[in-house]
Amino acid sequence: MLKKKELSINMGPQHPATHGVLRLVLELDGETVVKCTPHVGYLHRGTEKLGENRTYPMALPLTDRLDYVSSMSNNIGYCVAVERLLGIEAPARAKYIRTIMAELTRIANHIVWIATHALDIGAMTVFLYSMRDREWILDLYEMVCGARLTVTYPRIGGVRCDIDQEFMDSCYKFIEDFPKRIEEYETLIDQNRIWLQRTVGVGIISAADAINWGLTGPTLRGSGVAYDVRKAAPYDAYDQIDFEVPVGKNCDVYDRYRCRMDEFRQSISIIKQCLDKLPDGLVLASEAPPYDMPIGKPRVMPGHPMGEILPGELVEEKVPFDELYSATEVPKGELGFYFVNDGTARPYRMRIRAPSFVHASVLPKLCEGSLVADVIANIGTIDIVLGECDR
Amino acid sequence: MTVKQLIDKVFLTEILKGMALTFKMMLSKPVTIQYPDEKRKIYPGFRGKHAFVRDAKTGRQKCIMCMKCVNICPSQCISLKKGRDENNKPFLERYDIEALRCIYCGYCVEVCPVCALVLTEDFGYCSYTKDAIFFDKDKMLKNWDEFVAKLSGDVYWNKFWRPDGVDIAKMPKSKREQAPVPIRPTAAVPSDTVPEKKPVNPAEKPPEPAAEVEEKPEEKKEVV
Ligand code: SF4
Ligand code: SF4
Repeated sequence: MLKKKELSINMGPQHPATHGVLRLVLELDGETVVKCTPHVGYLHRGTEKLGENRTYPMALPLTDRLDYVSSMSNNIGYCVAVERLLGIEAPARAKYIRTIMAELTRIANHIVWIATHALDIGAMTVFLYSMRDREWILDLYEMVCGARLTVTYPRIGGVRCDIDQEFMDSCYKFIEDFPKRIEEYETLIDQNRIWLQRTVGVGIISAADAINWGLTGPTLRGSGVAYDVRKAAPYDAYDQIDFEVPVGKNCDVYDRYRCRMDEFRQSISIIKQCLDKLPDGLVLASEAPPYDMPIGKPRVMPGHPMGEILPGELVEEKVPFDELYSATEVPKGELGFYFVNDGTARPYRMRIRAPSFVHASVLPKLCEGSLVADVIANIGTIDIVLGECDR
Repeated sequence: MTVKQLIDKVFLTEILKGMALTFKMMLSKPVTIQYPDEKRKIYPGFRGKHAFVRDAKTGRQKCIMCMKCVNICPSQCISLKKGRDENNKPFLERYDIEALRCIYCGYCVEVCPVCALVLTEDFGYCSYTKDAIFFDKDKMLKNWDEFVAKLSGDVYWNKFWRPDGVDIAKMPKSKREQAPVPIRPTAAVPSDTVPEKKPVNPAEKPPEPAAEVEEKPEEKKEVV
């Protein structure tokens, strides 16, 4: 009599399909996954702690390195959070520029997502075409800020420098041409029978479960919940822009794919509206903190256990003595920054709510009972980047 | 199943469409840039290798040792040492950027009140030793010379020195007075007459007599 035993294998951290250094311990019964345990932390760099040791303007470049395929969105999320904390309002032109940048980033992120997701599932051609198109967006970044990946372009209270006519022209050209590129991707995979077999009915998570697991962004919207921070709590210029939030209904990998493909088109329309409406004026608020923001002295935090040991002295009124959670919609979901401030120009505690971290935690739920091959599709569909997950 | 769906299923329509697309791509122009032979266009303001601006009038860097860049650098990779010469005048004794730690944020370029620093458009610098990517003040000037040698035009202006759309009134006075840097000093005036004949711009640092005179002969050689 042969004994039946579950086999546990490591998937990752060096597996190319895990999108970074994610390690999944899979317990297998034949081809079926019985249990899946994600292990994260291989890329931990202590971003939160580093942020606590730097003033608000100096911590901004750290946020580039969270989700390195959509660094501009992270920057904007951070700037919006600090602006809310300091009570600064960015000028209208800066808000529009940021919206353009955020949407370009959304396109760039979804391009990387479709490229890697399709490559994992076996469609190599999409990868090549989409990388070609991403280059275009990186060029646009370089045009405005001189960097292609770690941009540090927004700034607390606005953006660092104005956009020029050359950028506007290239951007118009991009939004004119890009819809054709989306069609190319769709020609390759949208109705392809292999793609359909690998994605339809795979990785199902119901709307209620998705909410309970804290999913956000297209991963949630694929389950039919129309929650989008851009609509729910508008920031930058989103309240003046007309756009739709695409939702799926079958809660599977294919619907999440459709959601993101529709977001491409929505982003194009948002960029177009922003470029058309772009107001004139300065791009930096006059009360924006300078780069060399004075640190100031910390104040006593009443009722806080740490409060007793901090030297208490009311020094500056510039930075409010406050806690704040601020969320923005980055391409992967809801990126939140939570600051506890002790009145200095440094956060006493900075907490980053990274969508990838939350999404990685849903993998056991998605994978249990599925086949090994579908684990790959599930990792792709939740769109995680481990730089952000491990922070 | 409709008739169309049946036809699509039997004749593999979607796969044929995909193949037609890839075949079409095969005939189009390749987009790949053959990197070391071909170079892509770099846009102005690219944040690459560090350099000190060589002031056309004094032939030296313009740093006034205000420590702003040292304090602002998020990765804390700049160090500066202020020395005193025999007349008790301060001069820049050491200025080091550990470029391997630099994250190319460009903050140092933006805060410098006299626009002494620049992140040039050179990006392909790598080496087998750490020392080659550790920039001291002489190397920073050398980087500048190498950079301007590749430029066309007579003046250079970095867009982060005084970013567009930012209120100029809030910048320090010395920054407001900065003008594009001439990068072809020899084309306009013979270089040996430059330090004496030209009036010194009050916004910039007056030339310091000591410490760095020995840099000049080397500079003439390279600029020509
Ligand atoms: S670019 Fe940024 S990290 Fe590099 S030296 Fe300048 S301030 Fe420091
Ligand atoms: S900010 Fe400029 S002037 Fe001040 S120390 Fe740095 S390089 Fe010198």
